[in-house]
Amino acid sequence: MEKVLTITPSRCTACRTCELACSFKHSRNGTPGIARIRAFMFGEGRNQVVTCFQCDEAACVKVCPVSALSRNEQTGAIEVNELRCIGCGLCAVACPFGHMNQDRVNHLAIKCDLCGGEPACAAFCPTRALEFK
Amino acid sequence: MLIKSVKALEDTARQARERRSAVETEIIVCAGPGCMLKGGLAVAGALEKALAAQTKAARLKLGLKTTGCHGLCEQGPLVVIQPQGIFYTRVKPEDAEEIIKHTLGKGELVRRLLYRDPDTRERVEQYTSIPFYSNQVRIALRNVGRIDPCDIDQYLAAGGYLGMARALSEMKPEQVVEEITRSGLRGRGGGGFPTGRKWKTCRNAPATPKYVLCNADEGDPGAFMDRAICEGDPHAVLEGMVIGAYAVGAAEGHIYVREEYPLAVERLQGAIEQARQRGLLGENILGSGFSYDIRVARGGGAFVCGESSALMKSVAGEVGEPRAKYIHSVIRGLHDRPTVLNNVETWADVPWIITEGAEKFAALGTERSKGTKAFSLVGKVRNTGLIEVPMGMTLREIIYDVGGGIIGDRPFKAVQTGGPSGGCLPASQLDQPVDFDSLTKAGSMMGSGGMIVMDDRTCMVDVARYFLRFLKEESCGKCVPCREGVHQLHAILERICTGQGQPDDIRKIEALSDVIVKASLCALGKSAPNPVLSTLRYFRDEYEAHINEKKCPAGVCRSLFTFQISADKCRGCGLCTEACPVDAILGELKHVHQIDEVKCTRCGACRNVCRADAVEVV
Amino acid sequence: MPAKLINLEIDGRIFQAEEGMTILEVARREGIHIPTLCHHDALEPVGSCRLCLVEITHRDWKGWRGLVTSCLYPVEEGLQVTTFNEDIRHARRTVLDLLLARCPNSTVIQKLAAEYGVLATSYAKNETDTNCILCGLCVRVCAVKGCNAISTAGRGVERVISIPFDEPPPDCIGCASCAHICPTGVIEFEDADGVRRIWGRSFPMVRCPSCGQPVMPEAQLEFEAAKSGLDPDYLRTCPACSQKKTVDTIRTTFELKAVEVAG
Repeated sequence: MEKVLTITPSRCTACRTCELACSFKHSRNGTPGIARIRAFMFGEGRNQVVTCFQCDEAACVKVCPVSALSRNEQTGAIEVNELRCIGCGLCAVACPFGHMNQDRVNHLAIKCDLCGGEPACAAFCPTRALEFK
Repeated sequence: MLIKSVKALEDTARQARERRSAVETEIIVCAGPGCMLKGGLAVAGALEKALAAQTKAARLKLGLKTTGCHGLCEQGPLVVIQPQGIFYTRVKPEDAEEIIKHTLGKGELVRRLLYRDPDTRERVEQYTSIPFYSNQVRIALRNVGRIDPCDIDQYLAAGGYLGMARALSEMKPEQVVEEITRSGLRGRGGGGFPTGRKWKTCRNAPATPKYVLCNADEGDPGAFMDRAICEGDPHAVLEGMVIGAYAVGAAEGHIYVREEYPLAVERLQGAIEQARQRGLLGENILGSGFSYDIRVARGGGAFVCGESSALMKSVAGEVGEPRAKYIHSVIRGLHDRPTVLNNVETWADVPWIITEGAEKFAALGTERSKGTKAFSLVGKVRNTGLIEVPMGMTLREIIYDVGGGIIGDRPFKAVQTGGPSGGCLPASQLDQPVDFDSLTKAGSMMGSGGMIVMDDRTCMVDVARYFLRFLKEESCGKCVPCREGVHQLHAILERICTGQGQPDDIRKIEALSDVIVKASLCALGKSAPNPVLSTLRYFRDEYEAHINEKKCPAGVCRSLFTFQISADKCRGCGLCTEACPVDAILGELKHVHQIDEVKCTRCGACRNVCRADAVEVV
Repeated sequence: MPAKLINLEIDGRIFQAEEGMTILEVARREGIHIPTLCHHDALEPVGSCRLCLVEITHRDWKGWRGLVTSCLYPVEEGLQVTTFNEDIRHARRTVLDLLLARCPNSTVIQKLAAEYGVLATSYAKNETDTNCILCGLCVRVCAVKGCNAISTAGRGVERVISIPFDEPPPDCIGCASCAHICPTGVIEFEDADGVRRIWGRSFPMVRCPSCGQPVMPEAQLEFEAAKSGLDPDYLRTCPACSQKKTVDTIRTTFELKAVEVAG
């Protein structure tokens, strides 16, 4: 069965190690990338961590004018084809959950791609709030 | 009245012929492009007026009509009296009364209007005796200059639409393709692609609907063959297209006429309406069950729109830019559907082939270039005009036998064929047969039919510059090698012609040309270096003189020579003084004249009028 | 329906590909480098820059070989492709030399030209200062976006990327896709004080109702809403605030659930 990134917010300490791992994993030319996962501190037992839900019927896929977003059948993640993306930013506002962003320099779409099947966030999460299983 | 069957067509044609033979004599006034420019319509008007003033009995005996280009434009305005074939030249409106009187009268001739043979100086009565005409075989031009193009009955009387009738009633579409293939007909627009093969591929392409188009974008400077056919025999084009549409399986077609030919548009439009009214175009043609209709599309005013893929984009309402044709238009053309595009002259040949048979067409011409070809013979040749000759006739025969040799008997220097995609051939190549392959091997190409004859007062480097300037302005600009490359090639030529040539310019030209030929997107770019490469091949010394000595031996590039009057040759006649527009020549009658080099603009007027050849290029 | 598979040879190696793929697509898939300038995966290829030229032949072609643009040429069974030889090198070098004459100040062209040994152009330099290489990417992306606000005008070296009647284009939505795609950075835009300026037009930006940050031009928002059928108000919120809302929803849902479980 396909693995899924499971989030158990009750275990989250909002340490933000996931954000760091994500940023590192997506660095380019030594510059850290924008993290595609975000942790929010509300207090013990009430912290939240969110990333792309890899929707079955994703709004981003539907609105992209050049079909630059598509699902990777192996990992289950919706990926950005950077060679196709024209940087128009429509997907970023179309995502109802705010999980799509744009690179500040080259304007290309940025989102969680499950790191190609070995999500760094889950690998580094110290409390198993994030698991890939 | 609708013609509903082949039999009805034959009856209609017979009746038209009978009506015509009731008139004893016909006065034909040429209203082709050349004669019109020289006032042919005024001559026609004067003849009409003079005829109207005659008695009714007289008017019944004499017919008057205007036709398309008769051929010998140099001698226009032309008036021909049939059936005798009397040939009057340089006719003026004032001559009208005399012509009517003499023709109606005892059949005398107005001798002063007859053509004068340049060698024997004798008057010739019939045009068929003039070598310009007797050397021709007119197939595509069979009706041009013979019928009134605005009267469909004259086309029918001449056997028009019988080819179409035969194809629709007696032949299967595959057989039509077979017949055209066997005739050996190759595209007359310059590409020379076997027409039968083109139709077969389109016929076999699975997609529908299919389209059959006509390329009437004739863009080569100096070429007017297609114009003459469209203006002088539009029905021949329509008939050919119906036959082609039947062969291929198309229901719709367009004739793409260049923006600069409004009369051709008018004539084609008129012919289409007439043909539709008679049931010879549109739904259920001649009751055969086959339907095909044609619309005229006007060009955008660009040479590149003569390129097939650009033409199809233009017809579809988009900007006329070519595309890489890795998938041919016969598979995906207009609206991405299988399309046959052929040239005007090719279409005009088709009905004749179907009527007379493939063998008769194949009996003319050479082994790989069958049939005849129309040319617009222009430049420094005596008999400028519109001709059609069998393929294989040599350049020498065309220029000297048909063309009458060089004006003023000056030395022949070069002949340019193929327009901006073609090249120039020198005297050593005059015995090349004119066909698709021989001229290409020699470094030029036959092209669509423009043939420009040049004498020793033509600078070949300037000719190359002229064509490059044309191509630079007409390049669509999509691909780098053509857009930037032709622009830079022209810049180099411009420098050479103004005395700023550099030692490695020729090497630069050759290297850049090589890339433009290999890397351009379409045929405009790929053939753009031809004028410069062919002139380099045969006239390299002229380039070297411009570059190394900063001299133009032909006396054309104004900053690279001066004119001087030879003291030995000058007779002191004073013609040059009169001709000079800036009063730069001084001299008394019967004394040697002199040119003031400071005032002289090097326009060449003095050289042109001097009968002693005393104006020399220094 | 799966496409037919064919075999072709590139630089002496045999590859399998689907009929309908271009030579460039197969080369890129196999990691074979072919330079391009006017190519973009999101847009139909046009074969304009000619940098991607490769030499092709086929055993059935009786020795005929020729240069074609790999971005457009469809692969076929038995096709033999060479991606680099002297002819190709000379063609690419000349194309870059010509582009350097047209755009002598473009760092992108200078760099590419230098790779082929052209440090200064051999041709007459362009009198007008421009970095536009007329690749047409901006026009094509604007068409794909659905706006067709800009286009080419003119022919030959007079060809330019133009706006209708040289006036600020009415169909532009300010999305700046043209600016992002331009390989030489010719198209400029400026976002300042909640207004985007591009092509001579000023586009007031929509501000996120939650945080007040500019999100995208109002004109673009209206266009995207109309095109996608989505509610424009839904599109107004910036991703960061959308994410915060998402998190709040999850949290409150969890808290309600906890109360439910407890109670």
